[in-house]
Amino acid sequence: MTRFRDIFGSHFDSEMSQRPTSVLAACVWIPLFPLRCEEGRHEGLAGYPIALLAPDTTRKLWQVSPLARHAGVKPGMTVSQAIGLCPTLRLIEPDPVHYDERFARLLAALTEVSPVVEPAELGLVYLGCDGLEGMYGSHRNIIEALKRTLECWNVGMSEAGSTVQHSNIPTFRVGFALGKFTAWVAASRSKPGEAIIVQTEDAGNFLASQSIAVLPLDPDTHRRLRQLGIRTLGALAALPEEAIAAQFGSVGRRLWLLAAGRITEPVVGRVSPEPIVAALTFFTPVGERELLSHSLDQLIARALRHPRRIGWRVHALRLRADLDSSGSWLATILLKDPSADAARIAAPLKVRLEQSPPTGAVERLVLEFTAFAPGTSELQLFARDAQAAARAGQQRALQSAAREIRMRIKRSSLYHIIEVQPWSRLPERRYALIDYEP
Amino acid sequence: MVAPARAPLRTDRLRAVNAPKPVALELDTSGDLSVSNGGKIEAILETWRIDDEWWRQPIARAYMEVMLEGGKRLVLFQDLSTGEWFSQMP
Repeated sequence: MTRFRDIFGSHFDSEMSQRPTSVLAACVWIPLFPLRCEEGRHEGLAGYPIALLAPDTTRKLWQVSPLARHAGVKPGMTVSQAIGLCPTLRLIEPDPVHYDERFARLLAALTEVSPVVEPAELGLVYLGCDGLEGMYGSHRNIIEALKRTLECWNVGMSEAGSTVQHSNIPTFRVGFALGKFTAWVAASRSKPGEAIIVQTEDAGNFLASQSIAVLPLDPDTHRRLRQLGIRTLGALAALPEEAIAAQFGSVGRRLWLLAAGRITEPVVGRVSPEPIVAALTFFTPVGERELLSHSLDQLIARALRHPRRIGWRVHALRLRADLDSSGSWLATILLKDPSADAARIAAPLKVRLEQSPPTGAVERLVLEFTAFAPGTSELQLFARDAQAAARAGQQRALQSAAREIRMRIKRSSLYHIIEVQPWSRLPERRYALIDYEP
Repeated sequence: MVAPARAPLRTDRLRAVNAPKPVALELDTSGDLSVSNGGKIEAILETWRIDDEWWRQPIARAYMEVMLEGGKRLVLFQDLSTGEWFSQMP
């Protein structure tokens, strides 16, 4: 339940106004995404109850397949408890880098359908659909295009790993509505491989019949609502808003607004910066933390020296490790205070290395700076490549805009003017247009 | 030719810029000359002639820059081999 706070929380950062937004939303939900990724690449898992171990501690379960759940196995159980309940349970080491890459591929595929894509969590994505009618026609056609893309991605997922047949079964669910919440509820109610479209005029009736479990609730609020006999969104919305706010505070007011369909949260497209990457491959797999820590310092120093970084402070970074046990390890850090200081960048990563180290020896360590903040005015003044970085950003924005135009009108309508015979006395011979591909 | 910085030049993708657009000139009963979809010609500002490519398909054009009603300026030319009129940016 806690994930919903991230998805539907009222936090909107200052960059939101600069990002593309869309009120009409399609929600793509692939339940148990990491588990599906494992099924897609491991042969022989079909028909067995499987469970994924938690990335931070291998003694507990993270995700369990429906077959395992049927046998009584639940997420959060210890391995010994789970094996006791289900002796045929297949346990799988988590590979967060693989899931991250699969998800990135999914996002890239979805970008072909709509330029406004908002990832919420692994397996849950919102697509902005405002204006897509001009390209695809009706809402139904937009959904069909989306499903075709997802089916291609689903097939590609099985090809990437092995010749596993069962992964061709659609695993995605799609919801389409005005606002993210209604779209999510629709996706959560649709069957695998199918979509539910909620027309704007039907949204109230649709939401009214849904269980309160679809709300972004913490377990305590969920229990209290059930104790009060409130089981559906309609029952919640029928109560006075002030009464709910008096009982549950601002969270309750927000829940009431969601239940009553009074909030229409737009899909906010992401800004994808070009990461700065530094990698180190070890000749022999390394398990000592001190050596890993030293390697991390080296990678940070190398990445900070990158010309594109100069004049900018690092805001978000990611450290990933390929393990000799064919697994992987991933740490994503968002610095509260962006920094260009190596020690301050390294500190949270070293804490992560101490608290939840890789579960095996590391073969390759990769550091990525994924988001940046402008440096101080002095830093900007002396930054040799600040202008180049700004130009690179503009170039990326131009590429994105050109791609969007091509998607919308099916042909390039951006041109360069080039000189052909500038000396000609005939005006039409002097210049020509050529397709512009930034 | 100057190629754009980021894309290799492909001549099959070239499009003409400033291609001549056919126009019709009409003389009304009061003796005023007007351009189709342009309006009445108020004055002829300048005239010149281009003769080119005599070695293959000769091109002969009589250009004139005119001022239309309302002050808009327009460049017209007559293809002297066919007698047709065109408008074109100078």
